[in-house]
Amino acid sequence: MKMDLVLGRKVALPWLMLMVAVLLSAQQPAQSHARIELIAEQNTASPGKPLWVGLLFQLDPGWHIYWQNPGDSGEPPKVQWRLPQGFTAGAILWPVPIRLGSGTVVDYGYEEQVLLMAPLTSTSQRATSLPGISADVKYIVCREMCIPGKAHLTLTPPAGGNWSRWRALFEQTRQQLPKPLLPGWKASAQSDKTNFVLSVKGTSQIRSASFFPLVPDQIDNSSRQTFASNRAGFQLILKKSEQLIKPISTLNGLIVIGPGRAYEVAAPVISH
Amino acid sequence: MTKRFLAPTLVLLAVLWQVSPAWAARVGEAAPEFTATDTNGKLHKLSDYKGKFVVLEWSNRGCPYTQKQYNSGNMQKLQKEWTARGVIWLTVISSAPGKQGYITGPEENAYVKQVNAAPTAVLLDPTGALGHLYDAKTTPDIFIINPQGTLIYSGAIDDTPTTDVADVSKAKNYVSAALDEATAGKPVAVPTSRPYGCSVKYAD
Repeated sequence: MKMDLVLGRKVALPWLMLMVAVLLSAQQPAQSHARIELIAEQNTASPGKPLWVGLLFQLDPGWHIYWQNPGDSGEPPKVQWRLPQGFTAGAILWPVPIRLGSGTVVDYGYEEQVLLMAPLTSTSQRATSLPGISADVKYIVCREMCIPGKAHLTLTPPAGGNWSRWRALFEQTRQQLPKPLLPGWKASAQSDKTNFVLSVKGTSQIRSASFFPLVPDQIDNSSRQTFASNRAGFQLILKKSEQLIKPISTLNGLIVIGPGRAYEVAAPVISH
Repeated sequence: MTKRFLAPTLVLLAVLWQVSPAWAARVGEAAPEFTATDTNGKLHKLSDYKGKFVVLEWSNRGCPYTQKQYNSGNMQKLQKEWTARGVIWLTVISSAPGKQGYITGPEENAYVKQVNAAPTAVLLDPTGALGHLYDAKTTPDIFIINPQGTLIYSGAIDDTPTTDVADVSKAKNYVSAALDEATAGKPVAVPTSRPYGCSVKYAD
């Protein structure tokens, strides 16, 4: 009996280690084409101040994940936060995406590296150092093929205590977030049978712009967007989606003018 | 007088013909006629099936969204159920040669047998002509045509855009709903939805 136990323990330990190794590797398969880390901007959650956390996706060359509106195919990553009591998570702030694909299927997403950041707030009156935070993430990563992935991530301090690298990633990402429409600019959209004509008034310096729809099924993603500037501002002609059957009251999306120049628009729609 | 306007008008018509596909598939309108070859070399014309409901199902066996439907057995179940009720079910593969999901007739026949699929036929569309005609975006992407030849549904297979097999049983299946309603002579409550899945692998 005693003998068995000893033997059992001897056998069990390597087995346990093997099982742990298998479980760990199952979380992030080598062939996933995406490596994900859960990172934080600071090592302390202070009362009354959000603690910014984020999912850092690093993608193999040519592979992409999707924006909140994925476009014609794919789906955005989904996250379920696991937070200590008293903490709540705000919505993800999505950096400006790129247009992916050509031809008749066009998607919106990210290549190479992207940080999807979200604020955590706490009701606690005391500062907590690196609270126990984890996240369950589901995503799909595509190049020509698509591979779905799942990850359970736990927030641990950066390797070598190198917080500055993480802080820099949050700072860089803030530069890639869309901004509110500039004061003095005014967006509206005219609706006819086949197009929305999105007009932005209050600027005369713009030479090109493109629109990224926030809501699927409003504009046709693959159609060319026709840009025209005039003395009052500029216009984009956006072909309506075939799936749009009910009139909409607001056209929501981003107007991207150049690097670091992307603005959120909620253009009231005027029908003819 | 007439002649002076004829040439520019013809040019304009030719241009319009180029830019706006004259027969783009739109729900509520006549479904575009097509001729396509199946995995056994047999030709299928949409007009051959006048008087019957026709389902077009864009497919790519390497796509996890397609796999969700086939690994759960749901697509096979739909194919069996509706073909038994007289519906023509045409699976369409529009992957171009050299692109992911491209497949030959014999390979696809073996796969159909292996997964116990039961479409009326599998159409091979390596040029993407049929895909572009219907503007199929994703795998899966579904189109349903009624016996009069009108497109009555275009869009997703169901309302749950994920790759999780576990979601299939919880989802509202738009194809069954549309066919149930249409075969009972009722209007289709959800005639279009946003198709979800992998992009169709057309030629560049």
